[in-house]
Amino acid sequence: MLNVKQVSKIYEGKIAFGALTDIDLTIEAGEFVGVMGPSGSGKTTLLNMIATIDEPTTGEILINGSNPHKLKKEELAKFRRRELGFVFQDFNLLHTLTVEENIVLPLTLDGKKVKEMKEKAYEIAGKLGITGIMKKRTYEISGGQAQRAAVARAMIHTPKLLLADEPTGNLDSKSSKGVMEMLESINKNEKTTMMLVTHDAQAASYCNRVVFIRDGKFYSEIHRGENRQAFFQKIIDTLSLLGGDAHDLSTVRV
Amino acid sequence: MTFRQFAFNNVIRNKRLYAAYFLSSLFTVMVFFTFSIFANHPVLSGDDMSSSVTNGMNAAAGIIYVFSFFFVLYSMSSFLQSRKKEFGLLVMQGMSMKQIRLMVFLENMFIGFLATLGGILLGVVFAKAILLLAENVLIIERALSFYFPTKAIMITFVSFIILFFFISLFVTYVLRSKKLIELIKGNKISKGEPRANLFLTLLAVLLLAAGYAVALLVEGTMVVAAMVPVIIVVCIGTYLLFTQLSVFIIRRLKKNERVFWFKTNMLLFSDLAFRMKDNARTFFMVSMVSTVAFCAIGSLFGFQTFLTSSIKATNSTTFSYKTSEENEEQNVAFINQTLKEEKIETKSEYTDLRYYPIGQDTFLITRESDFNRFSALIGEETTDIKEGQVMVVEFEGTNFGQTTELLNETITLTSGATLKPKEVLHSKALPATDSYYIVSDQDYQKLLEPEDEQSYYAWQATDGEKGVMAASEKLYEKLPRYEIMSVEYEIYEIMKGYGPILFVGLFIGIVFFVSAGSFLYFRLYMDLDEDKQKFKSISKMGLTDKELKKVVNRQTMILFFAPILVALIHGAVALTALSNLFYFNLFKESVIVLSVFLAIQVVYFFIVSFFYTKQIKASN
Repeated sequence: MLNVKQVSKIYEGKIAFGALTDIDLTIEAGEFVGVMGPSGSGKTTLLNMIATIDEPTTGEILINGSNPHKLKKEELAKFRRRELGFVFQDFNLLHTLTVEENIVLPLTLDGKKVKEMKEKAYEIAGKLGITGIMKKRTYEISGGQAQRAAVARAMIHTPKLLLADEPTGNLDSKSSKGVMEMLESINKNEKTTMMLVTHDAQAASYCNRVVFIRDGKFYSEIHRGENRQAFFQKIIDTLSLLGGDAHDLSTVRV
Repeated sequence: MTFRQFAFNNVIRNKRLYAAYFLSSLFTVMVFFTFSIFANHPVLSGDDMSSSVTNGMNAAAGIIYVFSFFFVLYSMSSFLQSRKKEFGLLVMQGMSMKQIRLMVFLENMFIGFLATLGGILLGVVFAKAILLLAENVLIIERALSFYFPTKAIMITFVSFIILFFFISLFVTYVLRSKKLIELIKGNKISKGEPRANLFLTLLAVLLLAAGYAVALLVEGTMVVAAMVPVIIVVCIGTYLLFTQLSVFIIRRLKKNERVFWFKTNMLLFSDLAFRMKDNARTFFMVSMVSTVAFCAIGSLFGFQTFLTSSIKATNSTTFSYKTSEENEEQNVAFINQTLKEEKIETKSEYTDLRYYPIGQDTFLITRESDFNRFSALIGEETTDIKEGQVMVVEFEGTNFGQTTELLNETITLTSGATLKPKEVLHSKALPATDSYYIVSDQDYQKLLEPEDEQSYYAWQATDGEKGVMAASEKLYEKLPRYEIMSVEYEIYEIMKGYGPILFVGLFIGIVFFVSAGSFLYFRLYMDLDEDKQKFKSISKMGLTDKELKKVVNRQTMILFFAPILVALIHGAVALTALSNLFYFNLFKESVIVLSVFLAIQVVYFFIVSFFYTKQIKASN
């Protein structure tokens, strides 16, 4: 599904800075992969390159066997809109639109029929439990609800790959749990491939596999067994080995 | 770092943020200064003849000053609005509100001082350019030479320092008692979607309709009486149009999901609805200001054509000479001599115009052969009058003639027989703006004694038209003014007298129009950061450049053309009302003025939207 081959990113400037060095990552279809690492380790750079928002300096990224970075600008925008879904830390909902309008926005850009859009929006809203707030405006809803709406927007066009950048970063623990359980169930039921970048060990424990990077390099990788609690403990252990700054570890919430 | 240094550095090191505000202040100063250069121009204020022009200039300068005050105030308040967050940060660091006010005051005085100096410098250059333009476009008796405008500099400097001082005071007053949380959240607090009041929406439609109806229906002096109430009604109507009707329409559009959910419409309309409240005020100001500009230029231009065209309309030959005095032959010889000297080849005709008492008045009666000779001279069709037939000739292009009265009168001949006119003919052959009769040559012999008699000579140039001006100058010097008539020279005379007034009008129009443009630009600039943010997040989701351009373009287009469209309609109605006042058709002039304005606006739109789109794209 996703193939990251020997990708490096160097930010040119007065002093060139290597954000990522020789990263290899493969994600199979239907997999839910977490990427963790201390601040500045290059997690978000990696995600941005997979999201085609940024370009790798060397190496290549294949999504479903093809390299989206070779597409033209217009095609790239359409590719993002049709094949990828995004969930951001700060939700990125437009405050001038209602929740429903925010959810259907990617479809309207493609010129779909109103009836079709409405059906899809209510179907996904039903699954995510936000049907009650569809007519509300973004400032009238809580952070958890906003993130659910953002997930709904990312999912409405049934993307092949869902990318989440710190989706729980702005949420309290209860909402975090809700959102993560929701992502997990989407991953299970819809077989959507997902990639999650996070600081939050609790959030990462919902993944099938967690990849750790440090200073732009691959560090280690752990797989989840049957037990999420045990996986959470393993993540915590790895993080402490990783030796990032103390504040990079979120407090244990269980 | 002292506090003063902090305020100073805040401006100097943050140039980009202050640029828009600084530039609009600079621009305002420049306009006022250029204007006062002319108002205090030695040529215009020197002698008594142009004192009315000076008065007009001073009044206009006053208007510009008041207008500047509001413009700078508006720019300042929207500028401060966008800096709320910064103030919040400073308060959090422990700055007192008093210190913030002092800082804003110092900053504002600093910017104001620079803008005043810069505006004066630029104004000197701009004035030179305008003078060059004026010399080439308009006929002004003595060329308005460039001079070093000490007085204008003094006036501008003092008035604007005072203006900035008061605005600084005023603005610090506005900043009072804002809660910290409001400041920090700044523009993040959603203003909520504006709602339209149905009653006010209907009122807007009603007021505009009533204002227009009255403006279009009244005629003559009634126009003057209706002017003030109509202006007030239309003003209120326009304000409601933008604050209520526009919101109402957009809300209706939003409710229609087939429209609202169609491609990029959602992005376009949702933003429009939100900004409508801010936009409405800008729209209102811009459309009123542009209407003033249209009307000023349109009516001056129209009035000028009215004056010149009435001369052209009543005189169809190059030169004419009308006399009932003695030295007729001598003068005619002089005219012919002058025409020869200036190498003007002409065809000429002569007749004596006889006026007969008919009914209550005296009217001109001419004979067929004379009429036909003059018709041939100006290239009109000749006519055929049989014995016993009478025609009434109405002068083409004016409606002073008493054609209907003439049709009801009869002409008595020496034989006692009476002739009754039947037909009306339109012609410019004879220089009578009143209507007159034509009879056949035979009947002409049988007319009673005329009450008055005048000789009439007309020359129509066929070649050497270049010499007409020179010849006219000689002729007007020698001959009595009421006898000789040269169309070209008369028009020149009018233009000469009218030049400075037209210049002032044109200048005011341009100033107001350009100000309207910069209002719009400023409005757009205020939204830039928010737009950048918005498009950044949408383009992550996948918005093509084409779509982005489309949304931004349409957004800008509405901002630019909604007020100008309203102003065009207002202007068209106002000019129609004016033409009803003068009983003179200003249609052509209105179309010219309005389309020139529209064309400038289109160019302005393309420039602004190009740079705006570029800025937004650059941030993605």
